[in-house]
Amino acid sequence: MTAIILDGIVLGLQFGVLAVGLTLVYGLGGVLNLAYGQMAVVAAIVVSLSMDAGLPAAPAVGIGLLAGGGFGLLLDTTLLRPVYRLRGEAKVLLSLVLTLGVAFVVDGLLLWRLPLEALTLHIGGGVVEILGVPMRRGSLWASAISVAVFVALFFFFRSTMLGRAVRSVIQDEEGARLVGIDPGRMRTLILVSSGVLAALVAVTRSMTTPVTVTAGISLTIFALIVTVVGGLGSVAGAFLAGLILGIISTVSSFYIGTFLTLIILLSAAALTILMRPSGLLGVPE
Amino acid sequence: MTARFTGGTGTSLIGGAERRSSRSMLALFLPVAAIGTALALVPIWLGDSRLMMGLAIGGLLFACYVIAFNVIFGSTGQLFLAVGALAGIGSYGGALLGDRLGFPIVVSVVLATLAASFVGGLLSWIAVRRSLDVIFTGIVTLIFALAFENLLLGLSGLTGGESGFAVESGSDTFLREQVPPYYLFLGLVLLFLIAHGLLRRSHIGWAFRALRDDDVAAELTGVNVARYRIYGGLIGGGMLGMAGAIYAFNEGRISPSTFSFGEVDVVVIVMLTFGGIGTLFGPILGAITFTVIDEVLIEFGQLRLVGYGALIIILFLWIPRGVIPTLASLWQSRRLRRENAGSSPTDPLH
Repeated sequence: MTAIILDGIVLGLQFGVLAVGLTLVYGLGGVLNLAYGQMAVVAAIVVSLSMDAGLPAAPAVGIGLLAGGGFGLLLDTTLLRPVYRLRGEAKVLLSLVLTLGVAFVVDGLLLWRLPLEALTLHIGGGVVEILGVPMRRGSLWASAISVAVFVALFFFFRSTMLGRAVRSVIQDEEGARLVGIDPGRMRTLILVSSGVLAALVAVTRSMTTPVTVTAGISLTIFALIVTVVGGLGSVAGAFLAGLILGIISTVSSFYIGTFLTLIILLSAAALTILMRPSGLLGVPE
Repeated sequence: MTARFTGGTGTSLIGGAERRSSRSMLALFLPVAAIGTALALVPIWLGDSRLMMGLAIGGLLFACYVIAFNVIFGSTGQLFLAVGALAGIGSYGGALLGDRLGFPIVVSVVLATLAASFVGGLLSWIAVRRSLDVIFTGIVTLIFALAFENLLLGLSGLTGGESGFAVESGSDTFLREQVPPYYLFLGLVLLFLIAHGLLRRSHIGWAFRALRDDDVAAELTGVNVARYRIYGGLIGGGMLGMAGAIYAFNEGRISPSTFSFGEVDVVVIVMLTFGGIGTLFGPILGAITFTVIDEVLIEFGQLRLVGYGALIIILFLWIPRGVIPTLASLWQSRRLRRENAGSSPTDPLH
């Protein structure tokens, strides 16, 4: 049981980081990015190709993170421009459809040119015992990186000027504009960070399981579930929801079976929407 | 007073067209008859090829889906991302009733239609009760669709899992012939079109239009928004269930991928948005256009996905309102210009 819960925490931390990238973009730009999983996949493939080309792992990962961020920048400066000009429902719908188009294009191109490419990062060095449970080093590295990312995010949003500026735009775009914050810049910043976060999850995930070119859609769905449960636009909510859902996921796939696990996760999201539409830690509108 | 009038015609060009056409039933039946006649001629041209007829039937099936989605989303503003799942309920429901319980096909189709209608109404009821906005309705129904897909895969004893199952019922009827099912589906499309057209002309249609334009204002003027949203879910769900059930007996094999979100909902949204959300004939235009495009792109293998994605992006950036509303407003503005050219230069409005 301890082993299963520890596995759940490892998974949940990554779920959490994944959801942060989606939830921030929604909170700030009002954009639901359905190409989010593809951002992670593109980054993973870039890392994989760089390593195939002979680069050591660390610089390859660096290039991958840049690729993720670049993807975000590209979306922000091109396709999402007309989306930002809209308001309310029309805005979310257009963002949904356009990013779905992007997801198709990316999936199609990858399946066409590199159908078998996948990223696996081997972290050697055997197992480490934690609470009497042997854990793979890959899992530990993945968790350590995820925790570090959360600490950095909390610090950024609470204690830095820039982080506070971003939060002010999430709360009230007009108000932020009045005190001299440029929402457009904050959006670009968040889109780029979202890409980097997606890339980071792709990297940590590849330390335990291969990230294939077709993983995009399921990554987006996981991010969406965690985001809904945690509350749109909430970093702490994503962290908490990620942990809870990660543990639910491993426990149920061990005791009940894998096919029901996704249904259980989906039901958790549906129930959250029905019982508490703003999510665990989201702010009710 | 004059200012208010210009505001009225300016904000709702499409509404103007609807009001004019509602004067006579002819305006509904004439285009439906024209579409019916044109589509009825297709087998003369393609009837020899089993492959092409299969594609044509697929196109009509999607036209049914799009009309149903248009009733739910276009008319009542509920983003149901469970089009495939509702059709799947009809399809699996009908096939299981026919094959496992030995029900006659007609009875199976009717029961399957009722089941899908019930689920559609239930989803609407949940969305209305929890007053979910468009996006949350979308997410909840998407979750329902994904859960349904997983359920089909998981209950493999009943559904045959990933590979689906072969439907025995109907194998010795006209449903498995080459051309006759085409006319059955064409009849279904025309039936749905007329049903939707009549619905728009009835008091339900007025309520639909009021709540689509502004649900708060509709509620305030005494429209029972909840009730009409649930009507939308019931009617649309029933249409999906019926089309899905008939398809199961026609195709003879159903599998989860036939009703998956990616295979159905995405395509349906693209078709409807291309034709024009909320328009009567947009679904037909969208379904035909994308059935043809899909067939053209199929040669390109994986590049088909790329082409599809690129097309979605281009279309939505270029004509976000859809072809029919864009054409209608072009036509309207040309007409206005011509009238203005003839009107007196002292006209205070221009």
